[in-house]
Amino acid sequence: MKTFEEKWTAWLDGQLSGRELVEFESSLPDLAAAEAEKRDAQKLGLFLKKELGAQALSNEDFFSHQLRERIAGETEESHGSGGRSSWWTVPRLVWSGATALALFFICAVAIMRQHQPGEQSEYLTQILKSQVDPVANPNATVSIFEIKNDNKVTVLWTEGLQTLPADYAAK
Amino acid sequence: MQTETTPAQADVSELDLVKQCQAGNSEAFDQLVTRYRTRVFAMIYNMVHNEQDAWDLAQDSFVKAWKSIGRFRGKSSFYTWIYRIVMNVTIDWLRKRQIKAGGAEFDDSIQLKEIEPASKTVPKADPLPHQRMEQGEIRARIDQAIEQLSPEHRAVILMKEIEEMQYHEIAESLGCSIGTVMSRLFYARKKLQNTLRDVYENV
Repeated sequence: MKTFEEKWTAWLDGQLSGRELVEFESSLPDLAAAEAEKRDAQKLGLFLKKELGAQALSNEDFFSHQLRERIAGETEESHGSGGRSSWWTVPRLVWSGATALALFFICAVAIMRQHQPGEQSEYLTQILKSQVDPVANPNATVSIFEIKNDNKVTVLWTEGLQTLPADYAAK
Repeated sequence: MQTETTPAQADVSELDLVKQCQAGNSEAFDQLVTRYRTRVFAMIYNMVHNEQDAWDLAQDSFVKAWKSIGRFRGKSSFYTWIYRIVMNVTIDWLRKRQIKAGGAEFDDSIQLKEIEPASKTVPKADPLPHQRMEQGEIRARIDQAIEQLSPEHRAVILMKEIEEMQYHEIAESLGCSIGTVMSRLFYARKKLQNTLRDVYENV
């Protein structure tokens, strides 16, 4: 359903015909006044066409020249930035991947070394075994753990000893 | 629709030129620019009323057209398509200028009949101003009247009256319905009739 404004515009521009035209014109309260308004609007249209239609572009060739320069510049820029991005993309991926892998292995090795359990000292274990009489201390167990970090801590763990060997001096 | 063409250029159809542009041929685009630059510039100039701004906006419009010509599918004419770009660029520019100016411009609620006819263009002592108007003064009156319209109203009245475009072409260029175009045309005409009647009835 067209609004009055749409019908009026269509009527003014000669776009109404047939039954639509008859219906619209019969709906107007004052057809003569509407016709005068129509002529006035057409006069406005002709006036605008006459006064505004002759605006010329001065220096047309320079306009095109400037436009060509801009387009060439922007095309070159986009190609240049495209080239740089493709140059960056592949090496960056390769180097990033390699660096990440190397860092991963370095960190993994360092962490594994840090978290290794304290190893029993074969040398001290042998000495202690020689000092503990299995007959006098049948349930004795002796363990030594050395934490080989900066503190150089050695833990001696004894259990089940009934007597200490007389000649043993713990250091 | 009248365009700037030499006989040699006229042999090449617009669609062929567009296809060449889409293949990256900037010389083909240069031919399209030559065909439409004057009309595009005139349209923008009538919207913004400043030659330097119109020049820059026309340049921006053609650069945008070049960048997006790959998306042109030929469903409408090239002229309608480029007009859509021109209108987007120009209306955006006018809107930004309106915001910078504080939003007072393009207020459709302003009744143009309240504007004193020829208030800025004619000396007060002149007893019959409209009879003494020179061409520049007439143009100034028209520009002043058009500046009071919103960008969308400017666009429809100029495309209809100057470019003689059809409703559907205007609608395509502005991305709105035909009904909206007709409605905007109704109000734009009414406002210009109120403002310029004393000019066009005496020229």
